[in-house]
Amino acid sequence: MQDTFQTLVSGLSLGAVYALVAMGFSLVYRTMGLVNFAHADIAMIGAYAASTFYLTSELPFAVAMIVAILVTGAIGLVIERVLRPLENKDFDLMLIGTIGFGIVLQAVAILIWGTTGRAVPSPLASAPLDVFGIRIRTYDLLVMGVAALAVVALGFFLSRTKRGAAMQAVAMDHEAATAVGIDVGRSNALAFAIGAGLAALAGGLVGPMLYVDASLGGALGIKGFAAAMLGGFGSINGAVVGGIAIGVLDSYAAGHFQGYSVLVTFLVFTVAIMIRPTGIFGERTVSRA
Amino acid sequence: MNRPARPLAPRPLLVGALVLGAAVTACSAPGDSAEKAGSDSGPIKIAIVDARSGQLSSLGDWEYKGAKLAIDEWNKKGGIDGRTIQMKSFDDQGDPTTGTNLARKIASEKYIAMIGTAESAVTIAMAPVLKQSEIPNITSGQADALVAQKSPFLFLNGPTSTTYDSTLAKFLVEDQGFKKIAMISNNGSFGKGEHDAFAKAAGELGVTPVSDQVVTTDQKDFSAALTKIRAAKPEVVFIGSEEVEAGLIVKQARDLGIDAPFAGAAPQGTPVFIETAGKKAVEGTFVSSPYLSNEISPAAQKFAAAYKAAYGEEAELHGAKAYDGTNIVLTALKNSKVATGKKLADAIRATRYEGLLGDFEFGEDGVGITKTTIGVIRDGKLVEHK
Repeated sequence: MQDTFQTLVSGLSLGAVYALVAMGFSLVYRTMGLVNFAHADIAMIGAYAASTFYLTSELPFAVAMIVAILVTGAIGLVIERVLRPLENKDFDLMLIGTIGFGIVLQAVAILIWGTTGRAVPSPLASAPLDVFGIRIRTYDLLVMGVAALAVVALGFFLSRTKRGAAMQAVAMDHEAATAVGIDVGRSNALAFAIGAGLAALAGGLVGPMLYVDASLGGALGIKGFAAAMLGGFGSINGAVVGGIAIGVLDSYAAGHFQGYSVLVTFLVFTVAIMIRPTGIFGERTVSRA
Repeated sequence: MNRPARPLAPRPLLVGALVLGAAVTACSAPGDSAEKAGSDSGPIKIAIVDARSGQLSSLGDWEYKGAKLAIDEWNKKGGIDGRTIQMKSFDDQGDPTTGTNLARKIASEKYIAMIGTAESAVTIAMAPVLKQSEIPNITSGQADALVAQKSPFLFLNGPTSTTYDSTLAKFLVEDQGFKKIAMISNNGSFGKGEHDAFAKAAGELGVTPVSDQVVTTDQKDFSAALTKIRAAKPEVVFIGSEEVEAGLIVKQARDLGIDAPFAGAAPQGTPVFIETAGKKAVEGTFVSSPYLSNEISPAAQKFAAAYKAAYGEEAELHGAKAYDGTNIVLTALKNSKVATGKKLADAIRATRYEGLLGDFEFGEDGVGITKTTIGVIRDGKLVEHK
């Protein structure tokens, strides 16, 4: 019983990170109808940036995170700007463009930080909490808290602010949105920047839990993508539920199937997607090509 | 359906690939015909294959530096028979598939011997091609599966997992009196080799592990496995995985409240392991290694000084292993008057060499060292256990 809860706790904290990654995927998808394949590598850059500002420049962890988010937000803006001429013209090329950006980002990471990677010590010095024999790392609680805040903030932005509402409008019908004076380009740029910022948040938070190297994007991306699929691509709530589901599933699979855990996780995922192709909160997909 | 342009798309790509392929072949052709294997003049071509990128790149880097140091020293003394030794480094990315491709490349470009890799899985993947093309290879891998290849062209520049782990098991069970031992290892070639060797050695001493966890090579979160280990309340935890993963395992184990010391082979003695886990977490880790420190012998001190002068950093086990291995290959080349293929392999097997790791004496299985010593990590440094 104790084991079960211990496994659950670690599944939840990684699940929160996957949820953040999935939210970034979903946000860009719901505004532009585009899957940003560079997303996972932006998260990797975010992790490297956060760890560099935290360890090398010795900024406080929170400040390092904010700087990292600004850095990746800027990368998001650049990617959107480069892809903008293709918007509404060649959708396939846009997709390939994002894949290309991902590869470039990995190469850049190796150029800047080298190939070895680094372990990031936890920014919280306090010892893990012991609740009825279940050890809860204080850092895990922080990660879950920050992820929850991000979900609430994003929800508020999309439903309560003018900018957010405009983004939703663009997602529904970009021609009508243009007609009423919404700048589609700026809306897309904002979606990309926020998505990239979320990626940095996920990457920066996961650094002290895992290990930061150029392949981190692969590990986060595949789980985050699966989380978005499982929850229903484009749905923010879906991203949260999907992320936590994948995290917990992964954690239990690792406990029971050891070396075959990844296989089991994705088998379950595949079956779930076969039963419900649109995911849990599946919406009609947006396609602008 | 509504985009007729699509089916045509692959065609320019295909043409492009063909042109590129032709260009590559055209470029390599003159080199092939100019330099025959075992030619009597010109530089002696030796390939160094290692992971120069990815999570295992620190391992590859150490091995490269050790090998380069040996070759530079030989070249400074005038090479072999007046011929310089030319080394070229290839990046296998720690990936067996990439390794197999490199093995073919090395064969087609007529390298007469290969140093590396530091990774058992990659070495095993490369072995059949190297055996077929009769290129002797001395590896830093230690998995027993290397010996199982039964290739007369494959040599180990250090002990096998069986040597490392039977020494370790004996120490843990007989000297320290541990009865409750937990195991965590990965399912890669190295991890599996370590797992099997340690489980067997412990079993022979009448100890069965209280928990036996297997993780994957690219796993980063070990909470599930460590939770099971914690429940078993072990006195010591054996780790069978490479540096970074082992470091992460120890780091996370301490977070989960596992206080037992860890024990393992070569990777657990490296600075990368210590840095990844954090100094405090690795305190008291038992390490079975043929090369504990740079201070242990005059030869080791000399090597460490040369290493430091060349690269500005401290030498460690993997550099020493590669240094020994490369010296053995070069000695064999000298003794055999630059023989190639089968003759060179026989010359390596016949080479007796007093190295940093011990006195090498190769058996039919290609293993030259069958002894290790036990060290322990104190204040972030590996020292001899007394």
